[in-house]
Amino acid sequence: MTEKEDKLNITVKSNNKDLYSFMKLVPTRKKRIEKASNEPITSDPINHLARRLHPERQYMIISEIKEETKTTKTFKLIPDPDSETKELAYFRAGQYLSLKVVVNDVLITRPYSIASSPTDALNGFYEITIRKESHGFLTGYIWENWKVRTKVESSGPEGFFYYEPIRDANTIVAIGGGSGVTPFRSMAKAIINGNLDAKLVLLYGSSDQHDIIYYDEFKELESQHPDKIKVVFVLSCEEVTLQGCEKGFISSEIINKYADVKDNTFFICGPQVMYDFIDKELQKLNIQNKRIRKEAYGEIKDIVKYPGFPQDKADKTFKIKVKIGNISKEIPAIATESVLVALERANLAPPSKCRSGECGFCRSLLISGNVYVSPKCDGRRAADKKFNFFHPCSSYPISNLEIDIPRDI
Amino acid sequence: MRTITILYHEKKKISVLFMEIEESYDVIVIGAGNGGLAATARLVLSGVKVLLIEQHNLPGGFASSFVRGRFEFETSLHELEGYGPADNPGSIRRFFEKRLNIDAEFLEVPEAYRVITKDIDAKLPFGREAFINEVEKQVPGSRESVTNFFALADDINAAFRYIGKSQGRPDQKELLKNHSNFLKTAAYSVEEVENALNIPKKAQDIINAYWAYLGIPMNRMNFTLYAAMTSSYIDRGAYIPKLRSTEFTLALDKRIRELGGVILYNTRVEKILVENGKVIGVETSNGDKIKTNQVISNASQTLVYNKLIYPKSEVPEIAYKEVNSRIHGLSAFVVYLGLDKSAEELGIKDYSYFIMGDMDTETLYNQWNSLGVPKGQATVCLNIANPDSSPPDTSIVYITTLFKPGAWKDVKPEDYVRVKNDIAKGLIIDFEKALGISVMDHIEEFEVATPQTFARYSRTYNGIIYGYEPESWDSLVPRLMMMNDHYYIEGLEFAGGFGRRAHGYSSAINDGELAALFVLSKLQVKIGVGVNK
Repeated sequence: MTEKEDKLNITVKSNNKDLYSFMKLVPTRKKRIEKASNEPITSDPINHLARRLHPERQYMIISEIKEETKTTKTFKLIPDPDSETKELAYFRAGQYLSLKVVVNDVLITRPYSIASSPTDALNGFYEITIRKESHGFLTGYIWENWKVRTKVESSGPEGFFYYEPIRDANTIVAIGGGSGVTPFRSMAKAIINGNLDAKLVLLYGSSDQHDIIYYDEFKELESQHPDKIKVVFVLSCEEVTLQGCEKGFISSEIINKYADVKDNTFFICGPQVMYDFIDKELQKLNIQNKRIRKEAYGEIKDIVKYPGFPQDKADKTFKIKVKIGNISKEIPAIATESVLVALERANLAPPSKCRSGECGFCRSLLISGNVYVSPKCDGRRAADKKFNFFHPCSSYPISNLEIDIPRDI
Repeated sequence: MRTITILYHEKKKISVLFMEIEESYDVIVIGAGNGGLAATARLVLSGVKVLLIEQHNLPGGFASSFVRGRFEFETSLHELEGYGPADNPGSIRRFFEKRLNIDAEFLEVPEAYRVITKDIDAKLPFGREAFINEVEKQVPGSRESVTNFFALADDINAAFRYIGKSQGRPDQKELLKNHSNFLKTAAYSVEEVENALNIPKKAQDIINAYWAYLGIPMNRMNFTLYAAMTSSYIDRGAYIPKLRSTEFTLALDKRIRELGGVILYNTRVEKILVENGKVIGVETSNGDKIKTNQVISNASQTLVYNKLIYPKSEVPEIAYKEVNSRIHGLSAFVVYLGLDKSAEELGIKDYSYFIMGDMDTETLYNQWNSLGVPKGQATVCLNIANPDSSPPDTSIVYITTLFKPGAWKDVKPEDYVRVKNDIAKGLIIDFEKALGISVMDHIEEFEVATPQTFARYSRTYNGIIYGYEPESWDSLVPRLMMMNDHYYIEGLEFAGGFGRRAHGYSSAINDGELAALFVLSKLQVKIGVGVNK
């Protein structure tokens, strides 16, 4: 810096006082430290509330099992009295729990929507409803092993599939397919309990009437609160005997019949075929982007059908060199299964929650090789893409890979 | 390596390869926030064997981003100070580009800010002359005093350069001779010095807009710090990373790994092991026991002394006193809006807005003690500086205000959403009113971060995003002059927003670099590593 001709000469109080104040800075600070309390700080209310809202783990036991249909059961979960879990985290209707289960000596996770109301969580329980899949790795295990008092471990409530009053219209048009109806049971109950200030029109698709979950409950909610809850059952089977339901799939005609397409918010949860169908139907109705909320897509089971998947790789098995913590291991991986599944099969206990590319909990580094990521499930940050970070749950190996994954916390 | 029972309730052990790390490192850095990343990068550059441990699964701390729908939001950064243009680089650009050569692109923010109060609506440009001209236009007759404000800032910056060169041991005579303006203002608040400079009240209100970035009222904020920050912004401009903060934090992550550093994510340091007053290692949430004689903590002194040092008997009384003597800073509240119209269609023309009921900063600050809608916000429209930051015909706006964490301490889980949404709504309405526009009907994605959210991801004490408040007695000058007094435990160094340079991204990064240099000079003696020039 060059000296200025007319250099500023500041005086705040007086020349002497100003210099004296400067000289006193360090002694003042020393004195203040010396005079301060020597008591440790033991409370941190903000972190305390953060952990109550977002516990890393919840340890529960099954207190009741209810058979809803031939293939679905509702499990009531309460805090495990032998664990550190003393209360269940409050949540927003529509959120899910990521269950952590050891199946045949392999640790896996699965997301399940909470089907009970947020108020129920305050009263000490969650309910989740699970449909037994014909070749389900986990559900077969659950049907055989889960009894009253079985211990169940989960994440805190997760996900963004909830009503947001500042963003959403006052009427929720819920489009649910099969066991995808579970978050809407929670929303319906939240509305009745006064946790959620909205109206609900539920368009609920099932293959036939015996597959409808919560039929009686929904009927009762509707009759008791006709101003707030409307439920339309849509059955796709050939012969329909149930009174007052719609036949076929949830088409644009049916949506248009029950919804105000200009002024409602659409919440969609169901199997992947339903998402693909509904996408087209909603397009016909010209609904704004902001009015359509979809639950996470789920792990893609038929990845070969997705545009851009290299068909010549479909039947290949690749090797993945995995670095986790300070060890390396080489594991096999099938092109049509996500990298996450390969990691779980190898019992590396990788972190995961949504299994849909959305939550980022499994985020890992791709050191070399190529993966296919479906555009439907690409929740990576722009910089993640730039620096080769990927989500194993929504990435499929199409070459040998070398990856670095974090340990679960 | 060993197998462990991962699920507490499963009787059988499952054969998971779950390794505990039992190596030793020259240095372990706790936390990959701005300070921890900078310290680690600087150390590995000199060939030091460093382990960086971060509890989250990505680096950055508050310097981060997140995806909702088709939007990716910047978590906390409004604009980076100290980066500067290529032909006038600031300390951050010099560190990132020259020394580390990281792969991150930065974009220039077009204007300084627009400040809107009940009686001011001024748009301030970058560049000292243009800035002074605009203040003069808004407040005729202010030119000389505002020019003096910057002249004083120059003197302060020159003094800091001298103190830096002297490694915290400046010669008193030299200071008296060449840096008297610095000495004479170092103990005063912004308000006291701006009054002494005869800056008209309205002009003070205009040039004090950046106060929100430090979050302490002008009658308590140390002038030295404020003048240094403001002059840096105005002279060098402000920059943002093109792909949000995650771009530069991942670029640092990459460079650290290239230089041989090891980073463990999803791993929480639970104990800093101390024996006879010396650091001997750390223990983590994954059961790792890792040896080291040197820790650099990006976690605050508050957390380290009250929570991490093990055993507790190793914490000297003076450490508790030091923490308790200081005033813990603020946490933040941010409303993130993904809008389904472009900024142009919505009528948003500027990047950075400071919207304050008025500029009575003490009253504004006191509002942050309770859960109302604070009449002060700093709001950014990302697309103005970074047009491609969201899809075509959309835009990103985020509204930030601050809170004393205590205001949130009694919120019940079941009331939490309502409380945060009421505040968010009020802030959006205030933004709409100030600009005379409407955004409420265009919200496609909506997210709110509260002090609890910042606590959830960072675990800072009470979710604080700023460090200790820089009142004059605890501002840069006394912190720097006393920095050698604070080594209560051998092998324990601190870096980041709670550090010597106070808070803010660039201060935390600079402090991380400084912490690394101190550790390097110690290690040079001990293990003979070379410091690359």
